[in-house]
This record gives sequence, structure tokens and C-alpha cells, in this order.
Amino acid sequence: MSESSAVHPIPAQAGIGLRMPHHGQVLATRPRAAWFEVHPENFMANDSALAELERVRENYPLSLHAVGLSLGSAGGVDRAHLERLRQLRYRLEPGLVSDHLSWSIHGGQYLPDLLPLPYSEEALDIVCRNVERVQQALGTAILVENPSTYLRFAASVIPEAEFLAALARRTDCGVLFDVNNVYVSACNQRSDAGEVLANWCSALDPASVGEIHLAGHAVVQAASGEELRIDDHGDRICEAVWALYEQAIQHFGARPTLIEWDTRLPAFEVLQDEAAHAQSLLDLIARHAPAYPPMPGHQPQAAYAGAN
Amino acid sequence: MPAPINTLKGPSLAMLQSQMAAALLAADREAQELPEDLFAGAHPGSVGLRVHRNTVLGALSNALRSSFRAVEHLVGEAFFDAMAVAYARARPPEAPQLDDYGADFPSFIDGFPGTEALPFLAELAHFEWRLDELGRQRAGRLAGARSLLIAGGVRLHLEASLRLHLSNYPVDRLREAILAEDTGALAILVHQAGSYRYALWRAEAGVKLARIGAAAAGFLEAALLGQDAEQAINAASALGEAEEIAGLLAKEILPAGFLRIEAVESDKNNPMKSTT
Repeated sequence: MSESSAVHPIPAQAGIGLRMPHHGQVLATRPRAAWFEVHPENFMANDSALAELERVRENYPLSLHAVGLSLGSAGGVDRAHLERLRQLRYRLEPGLVSDHLSWSIHGGQYLPDLLPLPYSEEALDIVCRNVERVQQALGTAILVENPSTYLRFAASVIPEAEFLAALARRTDCGVLFDVNNVYVSACNQRSDAGEVLANWCSALDPASVGEIHLAGHAVVQAASGEELRIDDHGDRICEAVWALYEQAIQHFGARPTLIEWDTRLPAFEVLQDEAAHAQSLLDLIARHAPAYPPMPGHQPQAAYAGAN
Repeated sequence: MPAPINTLKGPSLAMLQSQMAAALLAADREAQELPEDLFAGAHPGSVGLRVHRNTVLGALSNALRSSFRAVEHLVGEAFFDAMAVAYARARPPEAPQLDDYGADFPSFIDGFPGTEALPFLAELAHFEWRLDELGRQRAGRLAGARSLLIAGGVRLHLEASLRLHLSNYPVDRLREAILAEDTGALAILVHQAGSYRYALWRAEAGVKLARIGAAAAGFLEAALLGQDAEQAINAASALGEAEEIAGLLAKEILPAGFLRIEAVESDKNNPMKSTT
């Protein structure tokens, strides 16, 4: 796989998910932010917004966090969408490109959600094939994020952390480790979040972790009475997730860390406040942990030992 | 309930995704369920499926809501969601860039049950979609701009984003009245069915609009179809408001701001040429 160098690499600091209502403020006041991340799908059919993003890009490192590659689609990656992403990548020269361990396209229909996969050998082969195709087309390694889950398939025979570790090992992709998603999934499966995080730390090669996500979530009562946590990115990060984040960066080291907020978007200053807290924790860790390593071509640890 | 699945091995991933996609978009309650032995989580699979269904349909409703603000304002959030969900189930998007989603929503809601008292609703939606499309264009782009050479070596450059929009209702004023919640104006405007013509284009400050007459609309339509200046003038004259081109330009087209004039020496040998 050929690899093109990012012109503006993403620093191991706290960045902010940039949403359109904040474009004007960012362009007008150039506020303090280490880097920004955007969903590329929001700029593929909106040339006006893309023009604004290009101006933002002049002053900040940028990461593209896709939601539509559908890396888990049994039918393969949509060729037209991959081409749109390829064009954006060459236009914006992002420091990182990422998407999710999920699917959203089937039979020519796009379902706007991060739909879950059974963690099976068949699914692992399919996701590996799709990730390799994406990396080939983009000319760079991508990061793949663990999603929040609300159900578990009986056909899942590989633990999620080992599935993602195996994917990274087989394709040389990196991992985007979403701490809030770990917490939401653990709570929804009535598992101990601390134990689940320990499993992730044990399964993942630290060198493969290229970025961390943090976000708030909602707690709702399902119609059937069960309490569910919904990854709606609509609140401040809760204390339990901050605690898991500290554990994660103690293990993985300081990593680019993103504050995500999508629904009930607050003032930009609230996002800066959350980023400042993440940065204070990164600063503490950076004094003791090894330097942020290059993600692509990492030397993987032994993890899931299933068939390749 | 759908046919049972052999879960000893489980369905293939392709089969599972096909069944799950169908269950998420199904309107019928039975068709929304998948066999519970597919799942092994702390909750029944139906609970998780409901979360995903809400996310999918909510995201599609919100995408439409952002494009059709006045339609939603007029019919209310709950009724808009009902139309949006019906549309999402009938015509789910084909691609992840949801800005493009909803082009045929106006046609879909034309005659939607419960909207009989709003005969202008689909036309309002068509107008909003046109505004939304233009709003997503980059201002000041000359690529693709059309120009016409008229007699005397004068060239007219039309805005590249210029569109002609025809409606049977005064949709611009209807939209303003709805968003301003001006029920008095709305009560009058809904009875003003007729022939309305608009020139719409993307300027630096946003989407611009000019109300134009039949002759100007005929001129622009011909020009936008790639006809040359003479044909465009003939099209304008044929609409029964025959005026000399100078009068038409002076009264309706020039003041609107979607074209600029340039004197061109080198094109004098071909005085009616149209280019893009």
C-alpha cells in the first residue's frame, strides 16, 4: 500500500468536533483549538460548507471522520462513496481519516446509523477486505472505531476488542478508541465497564491506537422498562467516562483526543472547556508515558489468534 | 413473524444485513421483528433494533426538516415526521451524503393524506428544495456560466447558479408568511393561485430571488437551455408580452443582479452566439 504523508499531522492533544453552526465563529475569531474533526459526508454535497471548511483548514490541522464507508457491508464498500472521500482527502489533506466498525449500506440503500456486526470469522474477513480496499483507494492507513452497541448477536464468537485488534493486525489499519462507546456498550450489556476497558487494553497493541474519542450520552428508559444508554453525543462527558479515559491514556499513552458533540449543540466555549479538561489529563500522562508513536506499520502484539 | 433462521450456524452476513435492513424500515409491527435466537445480549434483540430504527428514521426526518423548514412549520413537527417516515420507508437514501436526500419529497407529499386543505404544499416544498440546493452551492463560481452575445457586440453573462422556477402559487411570500407566523398574510396568499415566475441564484450573501414576468422567464428559459440570443428574444416575444430586448433587459433582467454586461470587440463577427 502506498502511503502519502499528511501535511498537517494531528497532534497528541485535545481537539474538537467541528459542526456547521460553529463555522462562522471559528472563521471570524480563530479560537484556540489544537485540531478539528469533521464528518466528510457533510461536505460532499455542500460546496458552500466545503468552501468554509477549506478556510478553517488554513489555520488548523483537520481529521476526517467518516460515517458512510460501511466497512462491515457484506456487499463491499460503495465505489462512488469511496471516490467522493478520496477526492475530499486530496483536497483537504487531513492528518487522519477514520470510520467505524459497523455497516450502514445494504442493497443500494443507506441507513444512517452505525449498525452492529456479528463478530464472526466471516465478518472479520469481510471487514478486512473492505478496509484494505479503502486504504488502497485513499493511499493511507485509516483508523477504525469501536461503536456503541445496543444488541449482541448469538453469532458473535470473537470478543469485540480482539476482533478490532485482529483487524488492525491483518490490515495495518489503526484503531480509533472511543471511550464513551466502551462505557455505553458495557452498561447496555450489564458488564463492568472497568473490566471491559481492561480487556480492551489487553487486546489492543498500544501502537495501533491512533486517536481517542470522548462524548456525552443519554440515559433512557426503553418501552420495555430497561434502562439504556444512548450514544447521542448530546451532553458533557460523564465522570465515569473521564475515569476510563484516564485509565486508557495511562495504558496507551497520550493520543489525539476528540471531544464529540452532535445533538443539542452548545456554545463553542463549552466544547473548549471539555477539551481543556482532556488536555489537562493528557499533559499529566505525557510526563510519564512514551511519546506518541506513528500509527501505520505498528508492530502488533499477539491478540486474537483466529484463522486468517 | 419472519421465517425462522438456522441459528446453529447463523445466517450469512449478507442475509443478516438484508433482514435487518428490511426490519428497520418496515412499517408493519410484525415485519419489524427478527427471531430472538439471533441475539444473545442482556436485552431482547427487539430493544436494540428499536434503538437503531429510531436512529435511522430520526436522522432521515432531521435531514428533511433542515431542507423543508416552512413545510414543517406549516404542518407541525408530528405531522412532518409522519410524512418524513413514510417517505424514508418508501424511498430510503442511496448514499450517505444526506444533503442530497429529499429531491423527490415534494412530489411524494403531493396529495399526502391529511394535506387536502393545503393544495400549495407540494409547490412550497419544491420551492424550498430549490432554495436548499442553491444554498449549498459555492458563491461566485463562474464555471458553467452561460453568456449570450447580442447585437452590437454586447455580451450578457448569466450567473452560473441561475435557475428559473415556476409555480402556481406565490411560494416566496407564502414561505415568508409561514416562517413569520403571519396568519393574516397566509390566509390571503393561499387564495392567490396563478402563474408565478422566479429567477433564483446563489450570491455571496445567500440565495437571491427576483420575481419576473412571462417574457423575461421565456428569455431566461431559452438562454438556460443553450439557445442563442436571437432565439431567446424570440421566445420572450412569443409569450405575448413582446417588447424590444432593450426594454425587457432594462425593466426586469438588468435590475435583478443575476447578469453582468460586457462589451466584446472580438465577437462582432458572430453577433448571436451563445456560449457556456
